[in-house]
Amino acid sequence: MMFGISTRVWLLLAAGAAVLIALPLVVTSSFAIDICIRILMFSFIGVAWNLMGGYAKQLSLGHAAYFGLGAYTSTIMQINYGISPWIGMVAGGVVAMLASLPIGWLCFRLRGPYFTIATIATAQALMLIFLKFRDFAWGAEGTTIPNLGNAPLMMQFEEKAGYYYVALGLLALGLAITYQMEKSWMGYYLVAIGEDEDAAEAIGVNAPRIKRDIYLISSFLTALAGTFYTQYIYFIDPATAFSFNISIEAALVSIVGGIGTLWGPVIGTILLETTSALLQSWLGSSLGGVQLTVYSLILMAVILWRPTGLMGIMTEWYQRLFRRRSVQT
Amino acid sequence: MEDALVIQKMSKRFGGLRAVQDVSFSVKKGETVALIGPNGAGKTTSFNLITGFHRPDSGSIRALGREIVGLRPHDVCAQGLARTFQVAKPFGAMTVQANVMTGAFLRNKSVDVAREKASEVIEFVGLSAKEQTPARDLTTIDQRRLEMARALATQPQILLLDEVMAGLNPSEIDQAVALIGKLSERGLTIVIVEHVMRAIMAVARHIVVLDHGQKIAEGNPREIVENPEVVRAYLGSAHVATPGETGA
Amino acid sequence: MLETVVQAVINGLLIGGIYALVSIGVTLIFGVVKIVNFAQGEFVMIGMYISFYLATQFGMDPIVSLVITMPVLFAAGVLIQHFLIRRVLGPNDMPQIFLTFALSLLLLNLALMLFTANYRTVHTFYSDEAFHIGELNIPVAKLIAFVVAMFLSGALWVFLHTTDLGKAMRAASQNRDVAMLMGINPNRVFCVALGIALALAGAAGSLLMPFYSAYPFVGQVFVLMAFVAVVLGTLGNVIGALVASLMMGVAESLGIQFVGADSGLIVVFAMLLLTLAFKPTGLGGGRAR
Repeated sequence: MMFGISTRVWLLLAAGAAVLIALPLVVTSSFAIDICIRILMFSFIGVAWNLMGGYAKQLSLGHAAYFGLGAYTSTIMQINYGISPWIGMVAGGVVAMLASLPIGWLCFRLRGPYFTIATIATAQALMLIFLKFRDFAWGAEGTTIPNLGNAPLMMQFEEKAGYYYVALGLLALGLAITYQMEKSWMGYYLVAIGEDEDAAEAIGVNAPRIKRDIYLISSFLTALAGTFYTQYIYFIDPATAFSFNISIEAALVSIVGGIGTLWGPVIGTILLETTSALLQSWLGSSLGGVQLTVYSLILMAVILWRPTGLMGIMTEWYQRLFRRRSVQT
Repeated sequence: MEDALVIQKMSKRFGGLRAVQDVSFSVKKGETVALIGPNGAGKTTSFNLITGFHRPDSGSIRALGREIVGLRPHDVCAQGLARTFQVAKPFGAMTVQANVMTGAFLRNKSVDVAREKASEVIEFVGLSAKEQTPARDLTTIDQRRLEMARALATQPQILLLDEVMAGLNPSEIDQAVALIGKLSERGLTIVIVEHVMRAIMAVARHIVVLDHGQKIAEGNPREIVENPEVVRAYLGSAHVATPGETGA
Repeated sequence: MLETVVQAVINGLLIGGIYALVSIGVTLIFGVVKIVNFAQGEFVMIGMYISFYLATQFGMDPIVSLVITMPVLFAAGVLIQHFLIRRVLGPNDMPQIFLTFALSLLLLNLALMLFTANYRTVHTFYSDEAFHIGELNIPVAKLIAFVVAMFLSGALWVFLHTTDLGKAMRAASQNRDVAMLMGINPNRVFCVALGIALALAGAAGSLLMPFYSAYPFVGQVFVLMAFVAVVLGTLGNVIGALVASLMMGVAESLGIQFVGADSGLIVVFAMLLLTLAFKPTGLGGGRAR
């Protein structure tokens, strides 16, 4: 027993980690590894969203704001001052945390759907700022990141496997934070706030402070993904960095996979990104709208039939299987 | 004996409605006081004012020697005042144990300590058999028990119970009365809002009567039942005229 | 200078009438059914495409096509309430928010697939006409849209205040339990509320068509305006939403005139954020303490 995890679970985790680490050695197709990287990155964004949106049920659709701030902070530092994106990544996280304070102050004044709307509006407003101020950050055209060849210290790799390992590390970090939080008083407080904020306050939960704190953590992590993605695609512009689709996918993967669960965002991302990749290879060129049409249908199906998401379905299967076996023996 | 809770000229308006007007009363340490009155008399509003969910327009509320007007609900709770809600608000997705642990974290952030504290109060309210049940699957009386357990887990000195017996059947009411008696024996100061007269007579030695936001009477149960003002306020409803009946 | 300001105010009021139709729909649904319809803008978009195709295929004037868009969208509203929204009404926010959000995504992306991202316009004989009063310029198409929008808002107000069903809807929006006690079937009331709200959105679409382009994302502009107007005008209040919408239209128009052509959205967001910052807590969420 370590950290309250049984030996069997440790073995499972070790086996899983070994498979994930060995994967790029086996999978050499650039298309396949690209899908793996997307899965890891969106899982990580989902995990970051899930901390606040899943456990505390503060349903943000504005996480693109932090993704974009992370992306722009590290890129500005890199291009204007030659600072490594590894440092820029952490700086971006800090900028995102600082931004989350006033944004949270505004948005948390609202509850339920109006909180969601306020988060959309603040993210869009940030995008408009980056679109308008040309001399500040290249305006609407954006800029390309200079390709330095193989420069791990500048978060650039010749092989896609390098990016794969960075994304894997980020996801591991996100999951570890979620796991620690879930097991501590913080996890209980977050779920309590998500269930009934008044009842939580009545038993001593400082709801505004807890919401602010989890928003800080969630924004920080989301910003890390922003830096990573920009380095991965060698390009930044406001429409990509602050894309509403980032906000949507962060929420969708968590809800489809299982809102407020450790592995939910990962499972949700695997389903959605695989579906998306299949659609892409099936339809060839990207027929505008197909991907999000399918996503929205999956989302509706989950909400109408299984609000606990894929995790809920899997738990049920597992229990049914387990029960049948115990009846037989 | 010392006063645990002293309320002086507490008032609150909602728009044009005077929900609570110049209400004053005090509760001695270890005493159980009932707050009664017809629907809309201002009982629940008084609870919301005391526990920080609404801020009084004027007046003073002192709990355990400290002014608590202006504190947020979680600060009031940290001061040692815990409340239950008229409509139980369990954290439905959590188990009974997790619900109560959430309350226990106020005094100690360790999961192990909280779990121990939780199992102690869960046993006290008689929910041990359902420790691992999701709160949303509980019956009405068990949800009320859970509310009390969660409040007790914050280790309060003053407990405010808002209609914990509404919707219970007579034998369940007896259980609830016994539970409140046990709490009182432990030295807890209790303020109870209740419609069930039989229960009030059983637990409270002091009663405060509100009507239309104002205090119209105060005294021991005998005095209250015989008070003509109280009888007039309740005219048409049978609560006071026939104690022993359960009110709606 | 003064003329420029007056002209901007007039332009703002005229487009504000359209915003009002969308906002009133949002506020009606929020008041009665207690959900926020994220897809409201997409129904404006659908109204526009219906009018566009009626105009290009059958030569029907977009204003006349109101008689088709409104009933079609009313029916859509009833079906959406009965088969979708009814299933997620409960204490949890997540299903309600993400069901209508998914609907919005679905309609938008279906439109993208069916109609492509191209801008579609309908040119009517009055599209370029305008009344001239001194230096001022009042486009006929916008004036018609404004007048019809005000007429529809007024008709809704009369409906809510004089008919039994309308009174039931107002009762439901004030107090759910009272409405139940009055023996009102809530689902029927909800269906009608959704129907009316979507019909108003469809009407907004038809009225826009003579002077505005249809494209899949067009609804997003209007729904954001509506959300801000609804927050400004106290939720669930028809007249509040109407007045706030007109104000939004004027504010946006003044912003475009004096700050820059692409600053309309910035003005909207600024207004939303200022509203959030300075209105007391409790607004919007509906369940804040």
